[in-house]
Amino acid sequence: MWRKFQRLASLGIVLGALAVAQDRTSTLIYGGDWSDLITLDPQVAYEFSGGLITDNLYETLVKFEGADLSTLRPGLAESWKVERGGDSWVITFKLRRGSKFSTGREVTAKDVVFSFDRAIQLKGPSSFLFTDIAQLKVGGTRAVDPYTVEVRIPKTASPGSFLSILTFNIGGIVDSEEVQKHAKGGDFGKEWLTNNSAGSGPFRLVRWDRGSQVLLEANPNARLKPKLQRIIMREIKEPTVLRTALESGEIDIAEGLTPEALKAIAANPRFKTLKADSLRLNYMGMNVKPGSPFANPKVREAMRWAVNQDELVSGLVQGNGVKIQTIIPKGLLGYNNALPYKYDPARAKKLLAEAGYPNGFEFELLTSTGLCGGGIPCQDIATKIQSDLAKAGIKANIKAIANAEALKIYRAQSHQVYLGGWSPDFPDPDGNATPLADFTAKSLAWRNVWDDATASKLANQGSLETDPSKRAALYKLLTDYALKSGPYVILYQPSIPLGFSAKVEGYVRNAQGQVRFENISKLP
Amino acid sequence: MSGRGKDFPVPAPETLNPIMLSYIVRRLFFVLFVVWGVTFATFFIAQVVPVDPAIAALGENAREEQLQEFRERYGLNKSKLEQYLIYMGRLLSGDLGQSLRTGRAVAEDLREFFPATLELSLVAFALAVLLGIPAGILASLFPNRAPDVAVRILALLGGATPVFFSAVLLQYLLAQRLDLLPVQGRLDGFLFPPPRVTGMMSLDALLARDWTVFLDSLEHLILPAFVLGMFSAAILARMTRATMLEVLAQDYIRTARAKGAVASSVIFRHALKNASLPILTLLGSLLGGLLSGAVLTETIFSWPGIGRYVTQSATSLDFPAVMGVTLLVGLVYALVNLVTDLLYAFLDPRIRYT
Repeated sequence: MWRKFQRLASLGIVLGALAVAQDRTSTLIYGGDWSDLITLDPQVAYEFSGGLITDNLYETLVKFEGADLSTLRPGLAESWKVERGGDSWVITFKLRRGSKFSTGREVTAKDVVFSFDRAIQLKGPSSFLFTDIAQLKVGGTRAVDPYTVEVRIPKTASPGSFLSILTFNIGGIVDSEEVQKHAKGGDFGKEWLTNNSAGSGPFRLVRWDRGSQVLLEANPNARLKPKLQRIIMREIKEPTVLRTALESGEIDIAEGLTPEALKAIAANPRFKTLKADSLRLNYMGMNVKPGSPFANPKVREAMRWAVNQDELVSGLVQGNGVKIQTIIPKGLLGYNNALPYKYDPARAKKLLAEAGYPNGFEFELLTSTGLCGGGIPCQDIATKIQSDLAKAGIKANIKAIANAEALKIYRAQSHQVYLGGWSPDFPDPDGNATPLADFTAKSLAWRNVWDDATASKLANQGSLETDPSKRAALYKLLTDYALKSGPYVILYQPSIPLGFSAKVEGYVRNAQGQVRFENISKLP
Repeated sequence: MSGRGKDFPVPAPETLNPIMLSYIVRRLFFVLFVVWGVTFATFFIAQVVPVDPAIAALGENAREEQLQEFRERYGLNKSKLEQYLIYMGRLLSGDLGQSLRTGRAVAEDLREFFPATLELSLVAFALAVLLGIPAGILASLFPNRAPDVAVRILALLGGATPVFFSAVLLQYLLAQRLDLLPVQGRLDGFLFPPPRVTGMMSLDALLARDWTVFLDSLEHLILPAFVLGMFSAAILARMTRATMLEVLAQDYIRTARAKGAVASSVIFRHALKNASLPILTLLGSLLGGLLSGAVLTETIFSWPGIGRYVTQSATSLDFPAVMGVTLLVGLVYALVNLVTDLLYAFLDPRIRYT
C-alpha cells in the first residue's frame, strides 16, 4: 500500500513538473515600469503602458506591421478608400467577415460606429485626436451595411492623420453589445472597461492587480491566434531590480534597463538585448520673442554649432539614442537624415559676432529634475550642454525644477531656453510638423514664439496632402527650413533599452511603442 | 497564569468600569481631532506647491482646453477655501473623492493598495518582535559579555543600514547568487493569484486552500519583511535590553532570587512583565510607522502598497489621493496609539485609576 502510494506520489510530482514546465513555455512575463497605467479602456487609455496592453486586447480597422510606420495594413478592415465628397473627406472601410470578439460575437459595422462615437463622447485624454485632429463628430461614422463603414471628416482635416490615428488604441473596436450591457448612468461602460476587456484582439484581460501585474490570456475566439497562452505584465519600477529579476529568471523581458545593465546583459549568452526606436525627440526650444537674443536666426544657428551632439549621444546617452537634427523622427514618413551641424565653437563665435554678440551672452536653461528620454537625467544633459556652449562664449545658467512646474513656465512662453522631450500624439509626420512648425496650433512653435508663415504653410500643406510622395516632398522642404531657421536644437532620438531571456523570440516593437504579443514565442 | 504567589495585589479584572469608559470616549474624540488636524495640515501644505495639478496630470502635449476642462471637472478653479470646504463636506458623508491621476474613487484605490501594506507590515512587525525582544532579553542577561556585544553589533547594523542598501545587497546575495528567494513581487508570475478576498495574498491563498500559492507568497514576503522589520527589531532589542537591565537591578528581583525563584520565572514573570510597559509604547509607534507604508521597501520589492501609491500621487499632485492616504495613515496611527494606551492601562493598574 505504502509502495503504491509512493509510486503514485512520485508520478504526481513528475506530472506536476511537466505541467509547470509546459506552463513556463506558454507563459511570458514582461517586466517594466507600468506605473503610469490608469485604465485599460481603449478609448480612454493614453498612457504608454495602457497603449501597449490595449493594442493586444483590441483590433483596429487599419494597423502598422512590424517596425514599419509608413505603410498602413489591413486590420479589421480588409480594404478602405479615401474620396472627396463635397466639403468633406469620405473614408469607406470594408470589414472582414468572421472576426470575433472574445465574447464570441462577430465584429460588425455597428461596433465600429459605437466605438468611434464612444471615443468622442467619453472625452478622454486622447479624444482630441478624433475631435480636433480628425474633426470627427458623433454621427460622422455610419454603418452602410454590416460590413461597410463610412466616415466623414471635414476637408480641413487630414485623412492621412486620421488613418494613422486609427492605428492607435483609441481606434480599438469594442463589442458594443457587451459594453452597453455594463454601462452605468451614461458612462458608455467606461467603469467596466477599466478592468475588463471586450475586444477581438489576440488576448483578453483576465485580471489587473493594480501596482503589481496585469494578466492576459489568449482570446479563444480571436482571428489572430497567439503563440503564447498567457502574458503577465509585471510592474517593476526600480531598474536594478528589473535587471536582477531578468537574471534570476523571474521575468522573460525587461523593459527600461539602464545603459550599464544593458551592456552587462548583452555580454551574457543567456540573454539578448534590443534598443527599440521611439518617436521621441529630445531637444532645446529657444524662445524667439522680440528682444530675446534668440530672435536673431544667427544666434539660433550659433547654438546648433555650439552643442557637441556626438559626445552627448556616445558619452551620456551611451547608445540609448540616435543622433538627429531635423524635426520629424526617424521611423515616420518625412524623416530627413540631414546632419549638417558639427561641434564648431569657432564658427558659433563668428555667427554670434555677426549677430552683435562678439562677447557672447548669457541665458537661463530651463529643464526638469526628472529623466529625459533614454533614462538620462535632464540635468546631466543640461550640464553637458552648458560646458559645450561655454567654449563658444555662451553662458547657460541651468534651472532644474519639477517637470510640471517647468512645463508651466514653458507653456506660458516665459522661458528663454527649455530642454525637454516631445513625442507625437499619433504615428504620422503631422504629429510633429504641425506642433513644431505651425504657430497657430498653439503648441511648441507657439510656446517658442516662432510665428513663421512659411513653416505654418508647409505644415498645413503636408497635413492635407494625400499622395505619399508629394507629402514626403513637402516635409523635406519643411524639415530643411526648420533645420536652418527654426527655434530648436534637436539633440537625439532616444531608444528603449530592452533585455530578453535568450528563449524569447519574435519580439518586434515599432517606434510608436506597439508590440504585437501574438508573434512572441518562447523556446522550452 | 497559576503562580506561587503574587508580587503585588492584582485587582479582579473589571471590564469597562465607568472611569475606563470615559477614558475611552475621551480618547476616541481625540482621535477625531487628530484626524481633522491631519486633513487641515495636509491640505494647506499641498497648496504651497507652485505646480499646476492639471499640467502634472495631463503632461507636455496637453492642450489648453483640456487643461481647462480638467480644472473644471475637479473644481480646481475654485478658491482654496472653497475647495477645502467642499472636500470636508464630502468627507463627512464618507466620500474620499476622486483621484486626479487614476480617475477612480480614492477609497477604491486605498482598498486595493492598503492590504498589501498591511500584510507586509504585519509580517515585518512579527519578525521584529520575534527577533528584537528575545535578542534584547539575551543581551540584558549577559551585560557587556559576548551575547550582549553580538546583539549590540547586529542592532547597530540593523538600525544604521539604509533600506535601499540592505535590500539590494540581500537581493543580490539571497536571490541572485544563491537563488533561494524571489527578488520582487508578491507571487511567482507563473502561478495564478487566488481570488481576491482580503487583498492579502497569503491570507487569500489560505482561504482558497491553495497551498502552492500560499507557500510561494510566504517566500515572497520573507525578504521585504525582513528588510522592513530590521530597523524595528534593532530598536526593540536596544530598548528591551535597557529596560530589562533597569528592572533586573531592582530590589524585588533580588528578593525573588533570594526567595529561590526559578531563573526563568524571575526573568519572564517578574522582570519582563515590569519591563513590558515602555516596550509596549515602542511597539505601538513602530507598528503605526510600519503601517503607514514603506516607500523604499515597496519600490525595491515591487510591492503594491500605499507607500508607493502615495509617492506617485504626490509627484503628480493628486491631492485627493494624498489626502486619502494621509487620513488613513493618521487614523491607523491614532487607533494603534489608542489600543496601546488601553493595553497600558490594562497592564498597569496605576494608570486606570488616575
